Amino acid sequence: MFLKELARVIRSKNAGPRCITLDVLFENDDAYRRVVQSDALSREAVAQLYGVTVSDVRVFHHPIARAIKIAMPRKITAGDPGDRDVYGAQQHGRLLEVRV
Amino acid sequence: MSATGRLLREFQSLRERRPLRLLGASGQLGYGIPTAAFEAGLAQKPDLIGCDMGSIDIGPSYLGSGKMATARKSTKRDLRKVLLGARRLDIPLIIGSAGSAGARPHLEATLELIREIAREERLSFRLAWIPGDIPRDVLISAVQEGRVTGIEGMQALTAEEVGQAAHIVGQMGMAPFREAIEADVDVIIAGRACDTAIFSTLPVLLGFPEGLAVHMAKIIECASLCCLPGGRDSILATIDDTGFVLESMAPQRRATPVSVAAHALYEQSDPYVILEPEGQARLENATYVALDDRRTRVSGAQWAPAAQATVKLEGACRVGERAVLLCGSADPIFISRRDEIVKQVEAVVRELVCEDSEEDYRLHWHFYGVDGVTDRRPERPLPVEVGVVAECIAPTAERASEVTRTLKQYLLHLGYEGRLSTGGNLAFLFTPPEITIGTAYRFNIYHVLQCTGEEGLFPVTVEQV
Repeated sequence: MFLKELARVIRSKNAGPRCITLDVLFENDDAYRRVVQSDALSREAVAQLYGVTVSDVRVFHHPIARAIKIAMPRKITAGDPGDRDVYGAQQHGRLLEVRV
Repeated sequence: MSATGRLLREFQSLRERRPLRLLGASGQLGYGIPTAAFEAGLAQKPDLIGCDMGSIDIGPSYLGSGKMATARKSTKRDLRKVLLGARRLDIPLIIGSAGSAGARPHLEATLELIREIAREERLSFRLAWIPGDIPRDVLISAVQEGRVTGIEGMQALTAEEVGQAAHIVGQMGMAPFREAIEADVDVIIAGRACDTAIFSTLPVLLGFPEGLAVHMAKIIECASLCCLPGGRDSILATIDDTGFVLESMAPQRRATPVSVAAHALYEQSDPYVILEPEGQARLENATYVALDDRRTRVSGAQWAPAAQATVKLEGACRVGERAVLLCGSADPIFISRRDEIVKQVEAVVRELVCEDSEEDYRLHWHFYGVDGVTDRRPERPLPVEVGVVAECIAPTAERASEVTRTLKQYLLHLGYEGRLSTGGNLAFLFTPPEITIGTAYRFNIYHVLQCTGEEGLFPVTVEQV
Protein backbone atom coordinates (compact mmCIF):
# COMPACT_ATOMS: atom_id res chain seq x y z
CA MET A 1 0.00 0.00 0.00
CA PHE A 2 1.20 3.52 -0.70
CA LEU A 3 1.73 6.05 2.11
CA LYS A 4 -0.56 8.46 0.26
CA GLU A 5 -3.46 6.02 0.69
CA LEU A 6 -2.98 5.98 4.47
CA ALA A 7 -2.18 9.64 5.16
CA ARG A 8 -4.51 12.62 5.49
CA VAL A 9 -1.72 15.18 5.06
CA ILE A 10 1.75 14.87 3.53
CA ARG A 11 3.60 18.18 3.54
CA SER A 12 7.00 19.81 3.69
CA LYS A 13 8.12 23.17 5.04
CA ASN A 14 11.23 24.90 6.33
CA ALA A 15 11.84 25.19 10.06
CA GLY A 16 14.24 28.08 9.64
CA PRO A 17 16.44 28.53 6.55
CA ARG A 18 18.72 25.59 7.39
CA CYS A 19 16.17 22.88 8.14
CA ILE A 20 13.51 21.12 6.10
CA THR A 21 10.71 19.23 7.79
CA LEU A 22 8.25 16.67 6.48
CA ASP A 23 4.94 16.03 8.25
CA VAL A 24 2.71 13.02 7.66
CA LEU A 25 -0.66 13.18 9.42
CA PHE A 26 -3.12 10.29 9.61
CA GLU A 27 -6.89 10.17 9.78
CA ASN A 28 -7.03 7.35 12.34
CA ASP A 29 -4.88 5.50 14.85
CA ASP A 30 -4.75 2.30 12.79
CA ALA A 31 -3.15 4.02 9.83
CA TYR A 32 -0.76 5.93 12.11
CA ARG A 33 0.32 2.77 13.96
CA ARG A 34 0.71 0.79 10.77
CA VAL A 35 3.21 3.30 9.40
CA VAL A 36 5.02 3.81 12.72
CA GLN A 37 5.47 0.05 13.08
CA SER A 38 6.77 -0.32 9.53
CA ASP A 39 10.16 0.80 8.28
CA ALA A 40 8.58 3.02 5.64
CA LEU A 41 9.56 6.28 7.36
CA SER A 42 12.58 5.13 9.33
CA ARG A 43 15.63 7.39 9.46
CA GLU A 44 17.39 5.04 7.05
CA ALA A 45 14.51 5.04 4.57
CA VAL A 46 14.23 8.84 4.64
CA ALA A 47 17.99 9.28 4.30
CA GLN A 48 18.00 7.08 1.22
CA LEU A 49 14.97 8.81 -0.30
CA TYR A 50 16.40 12.31 0.14
CA GLY A 51 20.08 11.57 -0.36
CA VAL A 52 21.21 12.68 3.09
CA THR A 53 23.20 10.88 5.79
CA VAL A 54 21.24 8.84 8.34
CA SER A 55 22.69 10.72 11.31
CA ASP A 56 21.25 13.98 9.92
CA VAL A 57 17.67 12.69 9.90
CA ARG A 58 15.43 13.07 12.95
CA VAL A 59 12.08 11.28 13.11
CA PHE A 60 9.45 12.16 15.74
CA HIS A 61 6.32 10.16 16.50
CA HIS A 62 3.36 12.15 17.81
CA PRO A 63 0.50 9.81 18.73
CA ILE A 64 -1.88 12.54 19.94
CA ALA A 65 -1.62 14.38 16.65
CA ARG A 66 -1.46 11.00 14.83
CA ALA A 67 1.56 12.37 13.05
CA ILE A 68 5.11 11.56 12.06
CA LYS A 69 7.52 14.44 11.75
CA ILE A 70 10.86 14.29 9.98
CA ALA A 71 13.53 16.99 10.20
CA MET A 72 16.78 17.19 8.25
CA PRO A 73 19.23 19.86 7.15
CA ARG A 74 18.64 21.71 3.90
CA LYS A 75 21.38 21.12 1.35
CA ILE A 76 21.21 24.79 0.35
CA THR A 77 20.25 27.57 2.76
CA ALA A 78 16.80 28.93 1.89
CA GLY A 79 17.07 31.72 -0.66
CA ASP A 80 20.77 31.24 -1.45
CA PRO A 81 21.65 31.41 -5.16
CA GLY A 82 20.90 27.98 -6.59
CA ASP A 83 18.08 27.22 -4.13
CA ARG A 84 15.02 25.72 -5.78
CA ASP A 85 12.39 26.07 -3.08
CA VAL A 86 12.71 29.04 -0.71
CA TYR A 87 9.85 27.99 1.59
CA GLY A 88 10.61 24.28 1.24
CA ALA A 89 6.93 23.64 0.59
CA GLN A 90 7.40 21.30 -2.41
CA GLN A 91 9.84 18.73 -1.10
CA HIS A 92 7.20 16.23 0.00
CA GLY A 93 6.47 14.72 -3.42
CA ARG A 94 8.63 11.63 -3.19
CA LEU A 95 6.87 10.61 0.06
CA LEU A 96 3.70 10.00 -1.93
CA GLU A 97 5.39 7.08 -3.64
CA VAL A 98 6.59 5.43 -0.43
CA ARG A 99 5.19 1.92 0.06
CA VAL A 100 4.15 0.71 3.48
CA MET B 1 -3.92 55.62 32.49
CA SER B 2 -3.32 53.61 29.34
CA ALA B 3 -4.44 50.12 28.35
CA THR B 4 -1.56 48.02 29.73
CA GLY B 5 -1.38 50.01 32.95
CA ARG B 6 -5.09 49.52 33.56
CA LEU B 7 -4.83 45.78 32.95
CA LEU B 8 -1.86 45.39 35.31
CA ARG B 9 -3.66 47.40 38.00
CA GLU B 10 -6.83 45.33 37.62
CA PHE B 11 -4.91 42.08 38.10
CA GLN B 12 -3.01 43.48 41.09
CA SER B 13 -6.32 44.28 42.77
CA LEU B 14 -7.83 40.81 42.18
CA ARG B 15 -7.72 38.39 45.08
CA GLU B 16 -7.89 35.49 42.62
CA ARG B 17 -6.60 35.70 39.06
CA ARG B 18 -9.38 35.76 36.50
CA PRO B 19 -8.84 34.06 33.12
CA LEU B 20 -7.17 36.23 30.47
CA ARG B 21 -8.55 36.41 26.94
CA LEU B 22 -6.17 36.97 24.03
CA LEU B 23 -7.21 37.54 20.44
CA GLY B 24 -4.79 36.30 17.76
CA ALA B 25 -5.92 38.62 14.98
CA SER B 26 -3.48 37.67 12.26
CA GLY B 27 -0.47 35.47 11.68
CA GLN B 28 0.60 37.50 8.64
CA LEU B 29 -0.56 41.05 9.07
CA GLY B 30 -0.71 42.75 5.69
CA TYR B 31 -2.26 39.86 3.75
CA GLY B 32 -5.80 40.60 4.91
CA ILE B 33 -7.69 40.01 8.15
CA PRO B 34 -11.18 38.55 7.60
CA THR B 35 -13.53 41.14 9.11
CA ALA B 36 -16.35 38.87 10.31
CA ALA B 37 -14.12 36.70 12.51
CA PHE B 38 -12.17 39.72 13.80
CA GLU B 39 -15.41 41.48 14.79
CA ALA B 40 -16.66 38.26 16.40
CA GLY B 41 -13.41 38.25 18.38
CA LEU B 42 -13.93 41.83 19.54
CA ALA B 43 -17.45 40.89 20.67
CA GLN B 44 -15.83 38.36 23.06
CA LYS B 45 -14.24 41.31 24.89
CA PRO B 46 -10.59 40.19 24.70
CA ASP B 47 -7.94 41.67 27.01
CA LEU B 48 -5.33 41.92 24.26
CA ILE B 49 -5.07 41.90 20.48
CA GLY B 50 -1.87 40.46 19.06
CA CYS B 51 -0.57 40.11 15.51
CA ASP B 52 2.55 38.59 14.06
CA MET B 53 3.71 40.52 11.02
CA GLY B 54 6.85 38.76 9.86
CA SER B 55 8.99 35.70 9.52
CA ILE B 56 12.34 34.44 8.26
CA ASP B 57 10.50 31.96 6.01
CA ILE B 58 10.02 34.55 3.27
CA GLY B 59 13.70 34.46 2.38
CA PRO B 60 16.61 36.90 2.61
CA SER B 61 15.41 39.57 0.17
CA TYR B 62 13.15 41.52 2.53
CA LEU B 63 15.63 41.57 5.40
CA GLY B 64 18.41 42.56 3.01
CA SER B 65 16.52 45.25 1.11
CA GLY B 66 14.55 46.70 4.02
CA LYS B 67 11.33 46.36 2.04
CA MET B 68 8.03 44.88 3.20
CA ALA B 69 6.68 41.71 1.63
CA THR B 70 3.11 42.99 1.81
CA ALA B 71 1.62 45.81 -0.25
CA ARG B 72 1.41 49.21 1.46
CA LYS B 73 -2.33 49.49 0.90
CA SER B 74 -3.27 46.07 2.31
CA THR B 75 -0.84 46.53 5.19
CA LYS B 76 -2.44 49.84 6.07
CA ARG B 77 -5.92 48.30 5.82
CA ASP B 78 -4.98 45.55 8.28
CA LEU B 79 -3.24 47.95 10.66
CA ARG B 80 -6.28 50.24 10.60
CA LYS B 81 -8.57 47.32 11.41
CA VAL B 82 -6.61 46.13 14.45
CA LEU B 83 -5.77 49.62 15.69
CA LEU B 84 -9.42 50.76 15.54
CA GLY B 85 -10.52 47.51 17.21
CA ALA B 86 -8.06 47.86 20.06
CA ARG B 87 -8.83 51.53 20.62
CA ARG B 88 -12.60 50.89 20.52
CA LEU B 89 -12.23 48.33 23.33
CA ASP B 90 -9.42 50.35 24.94
CA ILE B 91 -7.17 47.25 25.18
CA PRO B 92 -3.52 46.78 24.29
CA LEU B 93 -2.48 46.01 20.71
CA ILE B 94 0.85 44.20 20.27
CA ILE B 95 2.47 43.69 16.85
CA GLY B 96 5.72 41.77 16.42
CA SER B 97 8.24 41.49 13.57
CA ALA B 98 7.00 44.72 12.03
CA GLY B 99 7.11 45.10 8.27
CA SER B 100 7.91 41.47 7.35
CA ALA B 101 11.53 41.19 8.47
CA GLY B 102 11.60 43.46 11.53
CA ALA B 103 14.70 45.55 10.79
CA ARG B 104 14.85 49.33 11.24
CA PRO B 105 13.36 50.31 7.83
CA HIS B 106 10.53 47.80 8.31
CA LEU B 107 9.77 49.14 11.79
CA GLU B 108 9.89 52.74 10.58
CA ALA B 109 7.56 52.04 7.65
CA THR B 110 5.11 50.33 10.02
CA LEU B 111 5.25 53.20 12.53
CA GLU B 112 4.67 55.68 9.72
CA LEU B 113 1.50 53.81 8.75
CA ILE B 114 0.35 53.70 12.39
CA ARG B 115 0.84 57.47 12.78
CA GLU B 116 -0.88 58.10 9.45
CA ILE B 117 -3.91 56.05 10.49
CA ALA B 118 -3.99 57.81 13.87
CA ARG B 119 -4.14 61.21 12.10
CA GLU B 120 -6.84 60.07 9.68
CA GLU B 121 -8.96 58.50 12.42
CA ARG B 122 -8.20 61.22 15.00
CA LEU B 123 -6.88 58.66 17.46
CA SER B 124 -4.64 59.50 20.37
CA PHE B 125 -2.72 56.87 22.33
CA ARG B 126 0.57 55.92 23.94
CA LEU B 127 2.76 54.02 21.53
CA ALA B 128 5.82 51.95 22.43
CA TRP B 129 8.23 50.81 19.77
CA ILE B 130 11.15 48.43 20.08
CA PRO B 131 13.80 48.08 17.34
CA GLY B 132 15.02 44.53 16.74
CA ASP B 133 18.35 45.52 15.17
CA ILE B 134 21.63 44.23 16.59
CA PRO B 135 24.45 46.81 16.61
CA ARG B 136 27.47 45.58 14.65
CA ASP B 137 29.97 46.44 17.40
CA VAL B 138 27.99 44.46 19.98
CA LEU B 139 27.89 41.47 17.66
CA ILE B 140 31.57 41.65 16.72
CA SER B 141 32.54 41.74 20.41
CA ALA B 142 30.34 38.70 21.04
CA VAL B 143 31.94 36.89 18.08
CA GLN B 144 35.40 37.64 19.48
CA GLU B 145 34.32 36.36 22.89
CA GLY B 146 33.11 33.10 21.34
CA ARG B 147 29.47 33.71 22.24
CA VAL B 148 28.00 33.31 18.72
CA THR B 149 27.23 29.88 17.29
CA GLY B 150 25.95 28.93 13.83
CA ILE B 151 22.55 27.25 13.67
CA GLU B 152 22.23 23.91 11.87
CA GLY B 153 25.45 23.99 9.93
CA MET B 154 25.92 27.75 9.42
CA GLN B 155 29.62 28.55 9.32
CA ALA B 156 31.32 30.35 12.19
CA LEU B 157 30.54 34.05 12.05
CA THR B 158 33.32 36.52 11.26
CA ALA B 159 33.62 40.26 11.71
CA GLU B 160 33.77 40.49 7.92
CA GLU B 161 30.38 38.78 7.50
CA VAL B 162 28.93 41.07 10.17
CA GLY B 163 30.21 44.02 8.17
CA GLN B 164 28.74 42.72 4.92
CA ALA B 165 25.21 42.15 6.25
CA ALA B 166 22.79 44.81 5.02
CA HIS B 167 20.63 44.39 8.14
CA ILE B 168 21.07 42.30 11.28
CA VAL B 169 18.19 41.58 13.62
CA GLY B 170 17.66 39.48 16.70
CA GLN B 171 14.47 37.73 17.72
CA MET B 172 13.60 39.57 20.93
CA GLY B 173 11.96 37.55 23.67
CA MET B 174 9.65 38.54 26.50
CA ALA B 175 11.95 40.96 28.35
CA PRO B 176 11.58 43.99 26.01
CA PHE B 177 7.82 43.38 25.66
CA ARG B 178 7.55 43.27 29.43
CA GLU B 179 9.35 46.60 29.69
CA ALA B 180 6.93 48.11 27.13
CA ILE B 181 3.85 46.68 28.88
CA GLU B 182 5.06 48.06 32.22
CA ALA B 183 5.51 51.50 30.59
CA ASP B 184 1.71 51.97 30.57
CA VAL B 185 1.02 52.05 26.83
CA ASP B 186 -1.81 51.26 24.40
CA VAL B 187 0.08 50.02 21.36
CA ILE B 188 3.39 48.14 21.11
CA ILE B 189 5.16 47.76 17.76
CA ALA B 190 8.25 45.57 17.84
CA GLY B 191 10.92 44.90 15.25
CA ARG B 192 12.04 41.29 14.82
CA ALA B 193 10.53 39.32 17.68
CA CYS B 194 9.75 35.77 18.70
CA ASP B 195 6.22 35.23 17.43
CA THR B 196 5.39 33.76 20.84
CA ALA B 197 6.52 36.78 22.88
CA ILE B 198 3.71 38.90 21.37
CA PHE B 199 1.19 36.78 23.27
CA SER B 200 3.12 35.14 26.13
CA THR B 201 4.59 38.22 27.82
CA LEU B 202 1.36 39.62 29.28
CA PRO B 203 0.10 36.35 30.82
CA VAL B 204 3.56 35.56 32.22
CA LEU B 205 3.76 39.05 33.69
CA LEU B 206 0.35 38.53 35.30
CA GLY B 207 1.53 35.27 36.89
CA PHE B 208 0.12 32.60 34.57
CA PRO B 209 2.45 29.59 34.13
CA GLU B 210 5.16 30.18 31.51
CA GLY B 211 4.83 26.77 29.86
CA LEU B 212 1.13 27.28 29.22
CA ALA B 213 1.58 30.88 28.09
CA VAL B 214 4.30 29.98 25.58
CA HIS B 215 2.42 26.93 24.27
CA MET B 216 -0.71 29.05 23.83
CA ALA B 217 1.28 31.83 22.16
CA LYS B 218 2.88 29.43 19.69
CA ILE B 219 -0.56 28.29 18.57
CA ILE B 220 -2.46 31.58 18.35
CA GLU B 221 0.30 33.51 16.59
CA CYS B 222 -0.86 31.63 13.48
CA ALA B 223 -4.51 32.68 14.03
CA SER B 224 -6.88 29.80 13.10
CA LEU B 225 -4.26 27.67 11.36
CA CYS B 226 -4.54 25.10 14.20
CA CYS B 227 -8.17 24.39 13.25
CA LEU B 228 -9.98 22.09 10.86
CA PRO B 229 -10.08 23.48 8.25
CA GLY B 230 -7.13 25.75 9.00
CA GLY B 231 -7.42 29.40 8.07
CA ARG B 232 -6.34 32.95 8.77
CA ASP B 233 -9.40 34.01 10.76
CA SER B 234 -8.87 35.43 14.24
CA ILE B 235 -8.67 33.01 17.16
CA LEU B 236 -9.48 33.51 20.84
CA ALA B 237 -7.44 31.90 23.61
CA THR B 238 -8.59 31.99 27.23
CA ILE B 239 -5.83 31.12 29.69
CA ASP B 240 -6.17 30.26 33.40
CA ASP B 241 -3.77 28.75 35.93
CA THR B 242 -4.04 25.18 34.63
CA GLY B 243 -4.67 25.43 30.91
CA PHE B 244 -6.04 27.39 27.99
CA VAL B 245 -9.03 27.08 25.69
CA LEU B 246 -8.84 27.74 21.94
CA GLU B 247 -11.78 28.84 19.83
CA SER B 248 -11.69 30.11 16.26
CA MET B 249 -13.76 33.21 15.66
CA ALA B 250 -14.87 31.77 12.31
CA PRO B 251 -17.79 29.37 12.91
CA GLN B 252 -16.69 26.84 10.28
CA ARG B 253 -13.23 26.37 11.83
CA ARG B 254 -13.04 23.77 14.60
CA ALA B 255 -10.19 23.59 17.09
CA THR B 256 -10.11 19.83 17.77
CA PRO B 257 -7.65 17.99 20.04
CA VAL B 258 -5.98 16.39 17.02
CA SER B 259 -5.82 19.57 14.94
CA VAL B 260 -4.41 21.60 17.84
CA ALA B 261 -1.86 18.93 18.77
CA ALA B 262 -0.81 18.66 15.13
CA HIS B 263 -0.11 22.39 15.01
CA ALA B 264 2.93 21.76 17.25
CA LEU B 265 4.53 20.21 14.16
CA TYR B 266 4.16 23.25 11.97
CA GLU B 267 7.44 24.96 11.06
CA GLN B 268 9.09 23.43 14.13
CA SER B 269 12.05 21.07 13.88
CA ASP B 270 11.11 19.29 17.15
CA PRO B 271 7.36 18.99 17.84
CA TYR B 272 7.88 18.63 21.62
CA VAL B 273 10.03 21.71 22.22
CA ILE B 274 9.32 25.44 21.79
CA LEU B 275 12.68 27.14 22.14
CA GLU B 276 12.61 30.69 23.50
CA PRO B 277 15.34 33.13 24.56
CA GLU B 278 14.43 32.63 28.23
CA GLY B 279 14.01 28.86 28.19
CA GLN B 280 11.91 26.20 26.54
CA ALA B 281 8.34 24.97 26.75
CA ARG B 282 8.29 21.15 26.80
CA LEU B 283 5.18 19.56 25.36
CA GLU B 284 5.74 15.86 26.17
CA ASN B 285 3.00 15.94 28.82
CA ALA B 286 0.61 18.24 26.99
CA THR B 287 -3.01 17.08 26.89
CA TYR B 288 -5.76 18.18 24.54
CA VAL B 289 -9.42 17.79 25.52
CA ALA B 290 -12.45 18.74 23.44
CA LEU B 291 -14.90 21.02 25.28
CA ASP B 292 -17.31 20.73 22.36
CA ASP B 293 -16.85 20.27 18.63
CA ARG B 294 -15.29 23.73 18.17
CA ARG B 295 -13.22 24.29 21.32
CA THR B 296 -10.26 22.45 22.79
CA ARG B 297 -8.67 22.85 26.20
CA VAL B 298 -4.90 22.39 26.37
CA SER B 299 -2.88 21.71 29.52
CA GLY B 300 0.37 20.20 30.64
CA ALA B 301 3.17 22.15 28.92
CA GLN B 302 6.18 22.48 31.23
CA TRP B 303 8.63 25.37 31.35
CA ALA B 304 12.38 24.80 31.63
CA PRO B 305 14.21 28.09 32.13
CA ALA B 306 17.52 28.54 30.31
CA ALA B 307 20.69 28.87 32.39
CA GLN B 308 21.66 31.75 30.13
CA ALA B 309 19.44 33.79 27.82
CA THR B 310 20.05 33.50 24.08
CA VAL B 311 18.99 35.54 21.06
CA LYS B 312 18.55 34.11 17.58
CA LEU B 313 20.25 36.38 15.03
CA GLU B 314 19.37 36.88 11.38
CA GLY B 315 21.31 38.81 8.79
CA ALA B 316 21.18 39.12 5.02
CA CYS B 317 23.88 40.40 2.69
CA ARG B 318 23.90 41.41 -0.95
CA VAL B 319 25.13 38.81 -3.42
CA GLY B 320 24.77 40.81 -6.63
CA GLU B 321 22.18 41.97 -9.15
CA ARG B 322 19.86 39.41 -10.66
CA ALA B 323 18.45 39.03 -14.18
CA VAL B 324 16.45 36.06 -15.45
CA LEU B 325 15.56 34.61 -18.81
CA LEU B 326 12.13 32.98 -18.92
CA CYS B 327 11.40 30.54 -21.71
CA GLY B 328 10.35 27.00 -22.54
CA SER B 329 11.02 24.11 -24.88
CA ALA B 330 8.88 21.33 -26.31
CA ASP B 331 11.64 19.72 -28.36
CA PRO B 332 12.46 16.20 -27.09
CA ILE B 333 16.04 16.36 -28.40
CA PHE B 334 16.67 19.72 -26.72
CA ILE B 335 15.18 18.41 -23.48
CA SER B 336 17.22 15.22 -23.45
CA ARG B 337 20.46 17.04 -24.30
CA ARG B 338 19.93 19.98 -21.92
CA ASP B 339 23.07 19.34 -19.83
CA GLU B 340 25.44 19.53 -22.79
CA ILE B 341 23.46 22.44 -24.28
CA VAL B 342 23.97 24.40 -21.04
CA LYS B 343 27.73 23.79 -21.15
CA GLN B 344 27.94 24.72 -24.81
CA VAL B 345 25.94 27.93 -24.56
CA GLU B 346 27.73 29.02 -21.38
CA ALA B 347 31.05 28.73 -23.28
CA VAL B 348 29.70 30.76 -26.21
CA VAL B 349 28.38 33.47 -23.91
CA ARG B 350 31.58 33.57 -21.85
CA GLU B 351 33.64 34.12 -24.96
CA LEU B 352 31.45 37.05 -26.00
CA VAL B 353 30.78 38.87 -22.72
CA CYS B 354 34.23 38.27 -21.26
CA GLU B 355 36.11 39.60 -24.27
CA ASP B 356 36.80 42.84 -22.42
CA SER B 357 35.70 42.00 -18.86
CA GLU B 358 36.27 39.33 -16.25
CA GLU B 359 33.94 36.39 -15.76
CA ASP B 360 32.27 38.20 -12.90
CA TYR B 361 28.82 36.58 -13.03
CA ARG B 362 27.22 33.28 -12.12
CA LEU B 363 24.51 31.40 -14.00
CA HIS B 364 21.95 29.10 -12.38
CA TRP B 365 19.75 26.93 -14.57
CA HIS B 366 16.29 25.69 -13.68
CA PHE B 367 14.54 23.19 -15.93
CA TYR B 368 10.95 23.09 -14.72
CA GLY B 369 9.42 19.73 -15.53
CA VAL B 370 12.70 17.94 -14.94
CA ASP B 371 14.38 19.07 -11.73
CA GLY B 372 13.41 22.71 -11.28
CA VAL B 373 11.80 22.12 -7.88
CA THR B 374 13.70 19.25 -6.26
CA ASP B 375 17.15 17.72 -6.69
CA ARG B 376 15.73 14.37 -7.69
CA ARG B 377 16.85 13.19 -11.11
CA PRO B 378 13.94 11.95 -13.22
CA GLU B 379 13.62 8.18 -13.56
CA ARG B 380 10.62 8.29 -15.83
CA PRO B 381 10.48 9.32 -19.50
CA LEU B 382 11.30 13.00 -19.91
CA PRO B 383 8.44 15.48 -20.04
CA VAL B 384 7.12 16.68 -23.40
CA GLU B 385 7.63 20.30 -22.32
CA VAL B 386 10.00 22.05 -19.95
CA GLY B 387 10.06 25.54 -18.54
CA VAL B 388 13.52 27.06 -18.50
CA VAL B 389 14.65 29.77 -16.13
CA ALA B 390 18.24 30.90 -16.55
CA GLU B 391 19.28 33.11 -13.68
CA CYS B 392 22.29 35.41 -13.78
CA ILE B 393 23.80 37.13 -10.75
CA ALA B 394 26.38 39.78 -11.60
CA PRO B 395 28.00 42.77 -9.88
CA THR B 396 25.70 45.28 -11.62
CA ALA B 397 22.22 45.15 -13.12
CA GLU B 398 23.68 46.28 -16.43
CA ARG B 399 26.12 43.38 -16.46
CA ALA B 400 23.44 40.85 -15.49
CA SER B 401 21.24 42.18 -18.27
CA GLU B 402 24.07 42.02 -20.82
CA VAL B 403 24.84 38.39 -19.95
CA THR B 404 21.18 37.37 -19.99
CA ARG B 405 20.41 39.06 -23.32
CA THR B 406 23.42 37.43 -24.91
CA LEU B 407 22.44 34.11 -23.41
CA LYS B 408 18.93 34.43 -24.81
CA GLN B 409 20.13 35.03 -28.32
CA TYR B 410 22.67 32.21 -28.41
CA LEU B 411 20.49 29.67 -26.60
CA LEU B 412 17.72 30.45 -29.09
CA HIS B 413 19.92 29.64 -32.07
CA LEU B 414 22.44 27.18 -30.61
CA GLY B 415 23.34 24.46 -33.15
CA TYR B 416 23.54 21.62 -30.66
CA GLU B 417 24.35 18.02 -31.56
CA GLY B 418 21.39 16.23 -33.16
CA ARG B 419 19.24 19.33 -33.65
CA LEU B 420 16.38 19.00 -36.16
CA SER B 421 14.58 22.24 -35.33
CA THR B 422 16.50 25.14 -36.88
CA GLY B 423 13.81 27.80 -36.45
CA GLY B 424 14.67 28.51 -32.81
CA ASN B 425 15.23 26.44 -29.70
CA LEU B 426 12.97 28.36 -27.33
CA ALA B 427 9.38 29.44 -26.88
CA PHE B 428 9.00 32.88 -25.29
CA LEU B 429 5.94 33.66 -23.20
CA PHE B 430 6.40 37.35 -24.01
CA THR B 431 9.17 39.67 -25.08
CA PRO B 432 11.45 40.85 -23.68
CA PRO B 433 11.94 37.41 -22.14
CA GLU B 434 14.87 38.58 -20.03
CA ILE B 435 14.12 40.69 -16.98
CA THR B 436 16.29 42.48 -14.44
CA ILE B 437 14.69 41.76 -11.10
CA GLY B 438 16.80 43.58 -8.54
CA THR B 439 19.33 42.77 -5.88
CA ALA B 440 19.95 39.18 -4.82
CA TYR B 441 20.56 38.59 -1.11
CA ARG B 442 21.49 35.57 0.99
CA PHE B 443 21.28 34.84 4.69
CA ASN B 444 24.83 35.20 5.94
CA ILE B 445 23.83 35.31 9.61
CA TYR B 446 21.61 32.69 11.21
CA HIS B 447 23.29 32.25 14.55
CA VAL B 448 22.61 32.15 18.27
CA LEU B 449 24.02 34.78 20.61
CA GLN B 450 24.71 33.71 24.21
CA CYS B 451 23.81 36.79 26.21
CA THR B 452 25.96 38.23 28.96
CA GLY B 453 24.89 41.73 29.85
CA GLU B 454 22.91 42.37 26.67
CA GLU B 455 19.79 43.35 28.64
CA GLY B 456 19.51 46.68 26.84
CA LEU B 457 19.79 45.15 23.36
CA PHE B 458 16.18 46.01 22.51
CA PRO B 459 15.50 49.51 23.89
CA VAL B 460 11.89 50.62 24.35
CA THR B 461 10.79 54.09 23.24
CA VAL B 462 7.41 55.52 24.23
CA GLU B 463 5.71 58.33 22.34
CA GLN B 464 2.37 60.04 22.56
CA VAL B 465 0.51 59.77 19.26
